[in-house]
Amino acid sequence: MSGELFESACMDLVTVNGLSKRYGGIVALSEATFSARAGEVHALLGENGAGKSTFIQILSGAVRHDGGSILVDGQDYRPANPDAAQARGIAAVFQELSLIPDLSVEQNIWFRHEPRTWLGTVNRTEMRRKTLALLEKYSFPALRPDQELRRLTLAERQIVEIAKGLAKDPRILILDEATSALPAREAEWLLKLTRQLASEGRLVIFISHRMAEVRAIADRLTIFRNGSTVAAHEANAVSDNEIVTQMIGRHLDRLYPERVSTATDRIALGVKGFSSGSRLSGVDFALREGEVLGVGGLQGHGQRELFQALFGATRASGSIELWGKPVSIGNPRQALTGKDGIALVPEDRRGQGLLLTKSVRENLTLSVIKRFTENGLLSRQKEAALVKEMVDFLRIKAGTPEQLAGTLSGGNQQKVIFGKMLLTQARVLLLYDPTRGVDVGTKGEIFQLMRDLAARGYAILFHSSDMPELVHVADRVLVVRNGRIAATLEGDHISEEEILRAAMLETRAA
Amino acid sequence: MVMSVEQTVEMAQRPTETKLPKPAIELRGRLLDRAPFLVACLMLALIVGIYGSLQSGVFSLDELNLDTAAAMTLMLAATGQTIVLLRGGIDLSIGGMIGLGTVIAATRFTDDASTTALWALIILALGFSIGALNGLLISLLRLQPFLVTLATWSILNGVAMIILPTDGGSIPSWWVGFASAQLLGLTSPVWMLLALLLLWWWFRATRVGIAIQATGSNEKSAFLSGVSIARVNLVTYGLSGLFAAGAALFLVTQTGAGSPTIGKDYILPSVAAAVIGGVSLFGGRGHLAGTLIGAFVLTLIGNLVFVLHVSSYWQPVASGVILLLSVLASSVAEKAARNRVQ
Repeated sequence: MSGELFESACMDLVTVNGLSKRYGGIVALSEATFSARAGEVHALLGENGAGKSTFIQILSGAVRHDGGSILVDGQDYRPANPDAAQARGIAAVFQELSLIPDLSVEQNIWFRHEPRTWLGTVNRTEMRRKTLALLEKYSFPALRPDQELRRLTLAERQIVEIAKGLAKDPRILILDEATSALPAREAEWLLKLTRQLASEGRLVIFISHRMAEVRAIADRLTIFRNGSTVAAHEANAVSDNEIVTQMIGRHLDRLYPERVSTATDRIALGVKGFSSGSRLSGVDFALREGEVLGVGGLQGHGQRELFQALFGATRASGSIELWGKPVSIGNPRQALTGKDGIALVPEDRRGQGLLLTKSVRENLTLSVIKRFTENGLLSRQKEAALVKEMVDFLRIKAGTPEQLAGTLSGGNQQKVIFGKMLLTQARVLLLYDPTRGVDVGTKGEIFQLMRDLAARGYAILFHSSDMPELVHVADRVLVVRNGRIAATLEGDHISEEEILRAAMLETRAA
Repeated sequence: MVMSVEQTVEMAQRPTETKLPKPAIELRGRLLDRAPFLVACLMLALIVGIYGSLQSGVFSLDELNLDTAAAMTLMLAATGQTIVLLRGGIDLSIGGMIGLGTVIAATRFTDDASTTALWALIILALGFSIGALNGLLISLLRLQPFLVTLATWSILNGVAMIILPTDGGSIPSWWVGFASAQLLGLTSPVWMLLALLLLWWWFRATRVGIAIQATGSNEKSAFLSGVSIARVNLVTYGLSGLFAAGAALFLVTQTGAGSPTIGKDYILPSVAAAVIGGVSLFGGRGHLAGTLIGAFVLTLIGNLVFVLHVSSYWQPVASGVILLLSVLASSVAEKAARNRVQ
């Protein structure tokens, strides 16, 4: 086996030429090329909308290409469906996840490949054994095989999706932004796993927006832009700057805007003794007008609960003062009420923030429909004017305001959510991981936007799972640990090291 | 004490300790998940209790035999409906299929056992084929199941009336006798009930059964996992048609005649029985045991109205109230479960 593997490692396992795909009038891929060898980690880079998603959907059999050729092992490859792709040894770990909420973890992992008894029913003992063996072999983080999927957090689901991909023992594994939903520790594990898979002679196609990760594990990389391949490199033969320039097609001066504090003494959001469920106990902090206040810490220590409870999406106790006035927030409607309310950019933008089957216009104006009504009737002109203003301000790349939100790229979807939030006229903004799965160019725009808004007197509470973002964008950083504020870092004290220290302190004591 | 960055990072990379949720919480979650089913059981117990206090001999084998026989047509229809609901669809055409089935039986069944058996098989095959056709239309035309099956219901209803414009025809007595055949003190409907549960237990553990549930739970994920949605639709609606045909074959043992329009009485009750039993209208969740209990509840309400000596028009009123109560129960439970998960 090793001799055969060695040979195949020297020739290309996948060769793609002139690959094209259109959706109606929109060209998703045109003349893309790609080649990768067995036993390597091959990074696929590009902004959102560059065609990466379409490319892996074609490889994994979810959609069919219009033109061009794919060779796998030198043989023509044109999978009719995901099954056919799997039959050729290609499995994908999808960013949007291919999991079934009403099945258990193990049922999801082995879905459609369940071990069976002579009655044709699922052999539960065998399935459990195989699950534990799989989790053990790749030292997966703790998972309960019998737990129903809908009870899991996003990070845990991502891990199940990875297990599901590996369960097929694929020769080619596609990881689409698999680290973006994972906390630091699990992301690190996945990177190690990726190297392990490559050393087993598999090809891993790795997609990530985090340059440090790509640097850490990729042997080679291919860069997509506007649906075409712009370059392919040996990973150690190209600099970060060159990669970014090729990705966005222009030179990016810097990702992070200059940090000029615009915070005033006025407290926009004062929170005291804030508790919610078992995840948040006695949080105190003050967010000032014109400030970008970061929230950091290890994932799962109460950051999500803090944001959701502040927005009124989950119940909480404690006191909240908004612009000096005590308020009680029972549900999102109350949080939104009034000109100086609170607005949230949620974690799961597809599930919670955006109506994918509605237009950009409808998404923008849905929660503020009152603003365009005169005597109970909708004023289309007023609406159109505001929508145009917002699309221009945020530079949302949509054909028309009537384009469906679901057809926009990830970065542009995120901009629509920002627009929706700004139109509510809320001046306290809760941004929960607003750059998750967003390309480098748009990330820069979002950071700039955050600073611009702060300068205009908005107060911004900002969480990011990517620690450098907190370090470079926030004026101050609250470090959350076990549902409490463990430290507040300011000025020069804001660094990845300090954040980690504050986040870990108690773990060390225990 | 200050840690070096390396130490800190190493800490962060340590594998997560196994964090198992406390069993008590888990149990509560499981109970909440089954809340609609438990509420249905409670309702059934309540109804049987009231019924038993008003009428003597309710807690007997005879009563079980009688009530199961009364509920069996609905149970068969609701079994098919449960599969469709699990898929996230709905099947209105079972009304047409039941009517058509009774009409064919009433015009074709003879005293000759082999001819009758052949026609019974034909009716079952027809049921599956027409159901599969529903599934095919839903996949090919990408239409709402509600609309497609509404149309086929109307078509089947029309065909049934062309074959037999009014109630009538005849069913051979040996076929009628089937419903009262006994084994070990239990009549055939009770054995059918047990067989249905056994069949369900098996079906739900097969790959096909899991694929149907998964498609109802999240169609896109199922597709990405390699499920052929068209095939799932074909099998799901095919089975629904098959069970509707089975319901027709059982129904004629009680009516002894064909009736082209009788099927409409089973369309909404079949959905109601499933919903009362905790089957989700949004797909992916539910069990046949719940549906069968729901069918019992709906049937026994009729008995209760009878022994209370009130107008029989109170029966649909009571059914409606029960349906509302169970929908309320499941939505309350759903909310509680969601809050738990955060």
